[in-house]
Amino acid sequence: MRLKGFLAGPLLFLIACKQPTTAEKLDSVRSWLETAGMAADAWMHHTTPDRYTRQTLELSQKTLAQLAADLRKSPTPGIDTALLDTVLTRSGARLTEMARLVQTRNSPGLRGQLDSLRAEEAIIRRLADAAAPPE
Amino acid sequence: MKKILQLTLGIVTSVGGFLEIGSVATAAQAGALFGYKLLWAILLGTICLIFLVEMSGRLAAVSKHTIVEATRERFGFPFFSAVMLGMVLVAFLVLVAELGGIGLSLQILTGLGFRWWAVPVSLAVWLLMWKGTFSLIENGASLLGLVTVSFVVAAVKMHPEWGSVAHGLIPTVPGDQKAKYGFVAVSILGASISPYLMYFYSSGAIEDKWDTSYIPMNRIIAGFGMTFGGFLSMAVLIAAALAFQPRGISVEKFEQAALLMTPALTHWGFYLFALAMLFACLGAALEISLSIAYFFAQGLGWSWSEDLTPSRDSRFSFVYTAIILVAAVPLILGVDPMKVTMLSMALTAATLPLAIVPFLILMNDPSYLGGHRNGWISNSVVAIVILISFVLAVISIPLQIIGG
Repeated sequence: MRLKGFLAGPLLFLIACKQPTTAEKLDSVRSWLETAGMAADAWMHHTTPDRYTRQTLELSQKTLAQLAADLRKSPTPGIDTALLDTVLTRSGARLTEMARLVQTRNSPGLRGQLDSLRAEEAIIRRLADAAAPPE
Repeated sequence: MKKILQLTLGIVTSVGGFLEIGSVATAAQAGALFGYKLLWAILLGTICLIFLVEMSGRLAAVSKHTIVEATRERFGFPFFSAVMLGMVLVAFLVLVAELGGIGLSLQILTGLGFRWWAVPVSLAVWLLMWKGTFSLIENGASLLGLVTVSFVVAAVKMHPEWGSVAHGLIPTVPGDQKAKYGFVAVSILGASISPYLMYFYSSGAIEDKWDTSYIPMNRIIAGFGMTFGGFLSMAVLIAAALAFQPRGISVEKFEQAALLMTPALTHWGFYLFALAMLFACLGAALEISLSIAYFFAQGLGWSWSEDLTPSRDSRFSFVYTAIILVAAVPLILGVDPMKVTMLSMALTAATLPLAIVPFLILMNDPSYLGGHRNGWISNSVVAIVILISFVLAVISIPLQIIGG
């Protein structure tokens, strides 16, 4: 019995310590939006090939969808969940559209989408800052 | 003249063969998440590796034993079996990661998913092993791996602040993300101090028939080759710190790492990254397959040499054939090579004492080394680094696994 307590205590402590927080999940969302932005920007400068860029945008969209589902499951107090939900939905749709624009080689269209994506990324950054625990 | 050529080739191939998916992935992730703060881990790992590689060559040159043969002879079969089990399991995971790295490089070059490349890549690696000689594996892939020098060009072209870079060589503890910091530090140490490299190097010294006249050359190859190799890893970290950290990109997938050199070298950077990873992972996959086969053959007393035809060392050839084919299975099933890489690097660090402690005992045994035994500096440096790696691994791996 004593041994069980001895083992369970530190384990529970570790679990409590290390579940990814909302701020960490939002950082991950931001990381993927930035990845998509960097790949799209590189494609517009003829730095990356079409297929790689499209696949990276699709991967970003897929990962974003998983993160969004995860975030919706555990809403955090102090976060504007309606705004977060709207931004995540819009960004997901935008990434799908961006992948399509790369496929059709529509560079001006991609430029417009990229600017909007950057604005959404700024909102996610603000929300991540709000969700971060005080230092 | 022949020795000068061997020396040059030895250094060049050590540099070309230094990077592999583990060192690139861990350095890129470290730079993206923590800027230059984890440069000290690469420095520490490289210093330790210099000593270990030098020792591996010295053991072979003086005692005419590989590490595996000497371990079995000195400690007996039951203890050797435990070491073999641990080392082979970790080396197998690293092999999966390297084959995945080749597949991912081909994926970013062609657009065809890495799972489709698992079988052709494994067959190509096996064919090179089956048909190739030791010198082809040691020199050929490593010479191609010199394309990894492009990481240094990219890092310099991105104009890092050298004062901050120097500051990163001193260990510091971050304010937050301590568990992640510890895990990435452990993974860097695991990627730098890869035991398979020691087994490969000591077996290579026997294949090349080294004697005591090679001891000075061995010292220079280990010193210069590993130092320049360490610079390559540092260049990856610096480039990642400049390309990814300001954007908040944490490198979770290989597709993200592919953008590493594009800010500095534009489209050349993209293709050089893919080629660098392709050749680096190919070289590492060949070396690991060979190391696992050496481990079995030397430990179980079979005939072994990559220079013999497969019909003359059939059990040795069977081991690498089987291990390469089995390593393709997780990739066909879609296991993420990046996750396998980070896990295998951390496990490498955690199992280092299993490989290094018996090796240090051997290196201090006069019946093997005579007057060429280790001095206190070699013993202390290696023991301290292994202890740090082990403690960090024991603390951070559970935290990281629990944290997903």
